[in-house]
Amino acid sequence: MHISPKRELKRSSLGRVGIVLIVLVLILAIFAPLLVRYEPSGQTASAFESPSLEHWLGTNHVGQDIWSQLAYGARTSLLVGFSVAVFSVLLSALIGASAALVGDRYDRIVMRIVDALIVIPVVIVLVLLAAYIKPGIGYIIVILSLLGWQFGARVVRAQTLVLKEEMHVAAAKSFGASNFYLIFRHIIPDLGPILLVQFVYAARRAIFMEAGLAFLGIADPSIISWGMMMHDALGFCYLDVWRWCLIPPGVALSLTVLSITFIGHAFEPVLDPRLRGEAGA
Amino acid sequence: MINKRNMATYGIALVFILALNFLLPRMMPGDPLMAIYGEDALIQMTPELKAHLVERFALDEPIWSQLGAYFWGLLRGDLGHSYYYNAPVSEVILGRLPWTCLLVGSSLVLSTVLGVVLGIESGWRRGRKLDKSLLTGLMALGGFPDFFLGIVLLLVFGVTLGLLPLAGALTPYAELSGLALSLDILKHLLLPLASLTLCHIGGSYLLTRNTMITVMQEPYILTARAKGLSDSQIRYHHAGRNSMLPVFTRTGMWLGRLVTGALFVEMVFAYPGLGYLTYEALLARDYPVLQGVLLMVAVFVLVANLLVDLTYPKLDPRASYAH
Repeated sequence: MHISPKRELKRSSLGRVGIVLIVLVLILAIFAPLLVRYEPSGQTASAFESPSLEHWLGTNHVGQDIWSQLAYGARTSLLVGFSVAVFSVLLSALIGASAALVGDRYDRIVMRIVDALIVIPVVIVLVLLAAYIKPGIGYIIVILSLLGWQFGARVVRAQTLVLKEEMHVAAAKSFGASNFYLIFRHIIPDLGPILLVQFVYAARRAIFMEAGLAFLGIADPSIISWGMMMHDALGFCYLDVWRWCLIPPGVALSLTVLSITFIGHAFEPVLDPRLRGEAGA
Repeated sequence: MINKRNMATYGIALVFILALNFLLPRMMPGDPLMAIYGEDALIQMTPELKAHLVERFALDEPIWSQLGAYFWGLLRGDLGHSYYYNAPVSEVILGRLPWTCLLVGSSLVLSTVLGVVLGIESGWRRGRKLDKSLLTGLMALGGFPDFFLGIVLLLVFGVTLGLLPLAGALTPYAELSGLALSLDILKHLLLPLASLTLCHIGGSYLLTRNTMITVMQEPYILTARAKGLSDSQIRYHHAGRNSMLPVFTRTGMWLGRLVTGALFVEMVFAYPGLGYLTYEALLARDYPVLQGVLLMVAVFVLVANLLVDLTYPKLDPRASYAH
């Protein structure tokens, strides 16, 4: 792997914009208690107040402070994005690399399952599952991870097939290294940059889907999420004030997804070096 | 010319969906009828309807007979009974299908054509001003969640400017016909179509652009130049045609994404397609309808993929020599 993701990120101005944005969201999430004056779920004023010095972004339909909710919503989004990305990349690496190493029938079966999962419209499956299970945040993370590893597994498998032929992997194998050992000691470290790219994509999908599900009204009502804030606001679209509740979470969500998109784009040369040299773009 | 590998993929996908539909309600704790229909519906059901439904899906019999009844039902086009609409699920879905087909179909065509053309132009001018602004702009659009883009468009064009209708697919009780009806449909379609298309152009655009960049380095482009062909001929005939191929193979996948996107966009605009139906079914806990929509959409996406496989060799003759 001669291409370092860090260098690619530095070269791309979009990537730098993405990093700045995501760091801002991270700060918002981590320091949420310091940045807000009100409990996010506490009723602190009358409903639908316009933005003021007291309530920077106004209040929602039950008088909760929108700025507080926005800050705590960032936690939910990032938590889901991060955990799902970790789990699904781990699954991608394990399944993709083992398919390439074991080969034969196992490889064929696994790859057919991967393809099948890619073809299936995952969000609709999610909606159905969620409708039955009425999931909390933990369930959402598990389900999103279980339905999100297939894209990465394909890439990992292809790269492992190349790696498998390399001297150091072949040497380890000839010393009797097990596939498990190979995956953790050789494949995963060697595929670092590629896994990082998959991590970015998985995080983006997860944040998007969590917000989407909450927007559809499938979410744990006790957890503040941007999608749910938008869902609640949309219910009052006959009032004029709904914009105050609707725009902030929408913008926050868009900026978060956007920043990850930019970072992912900056990483693209890692997967396809021919795309390099996008000076400035 | 059907690829055996792909057929296996579609088979597994279909089995997965069917298994989910069959097992999910039956794995839930409690009475299967309750799991299928939910508590609220069950309380309101008459004993006759309950008995009829139990018999129709063999719910009091062992799991294998239930499976048999389920498949036999599917073969006859029986997707179950929607308690909320008090109608067969298949009927409810078929009633909504045309709107989603209209929305998703036109969005698919529009986003693919625009994406490919912009991608070709952009890849051709790689690194220049137009390329950079297109790349940044379309990627930024793709970063927007489609439902939020829909809401923004709704606010700007519907609420603030008052140019376009806010919800629905037709003006209710207007009794329009002919040209006026088409115009009315178009007016209602415009905003949902715009939100869906704008969010999804990025995919085909980026893919075309990336392939274009790779193709431009191929020797046959150099040959074409050496032959003295005009720029536009090379751009569209030589480079462009080949850059389109990956976009085409992903049509099926994009169809899936668009249907998913339509789910959210339809909800924002209360557009009466499958997406809005899903939302209503979620609110009413109308599980059979949810299952029906899932099955329907999955089958659609699988069939689309199959059609793409079948037509691909026509677009790229190399594919028929391979294997």
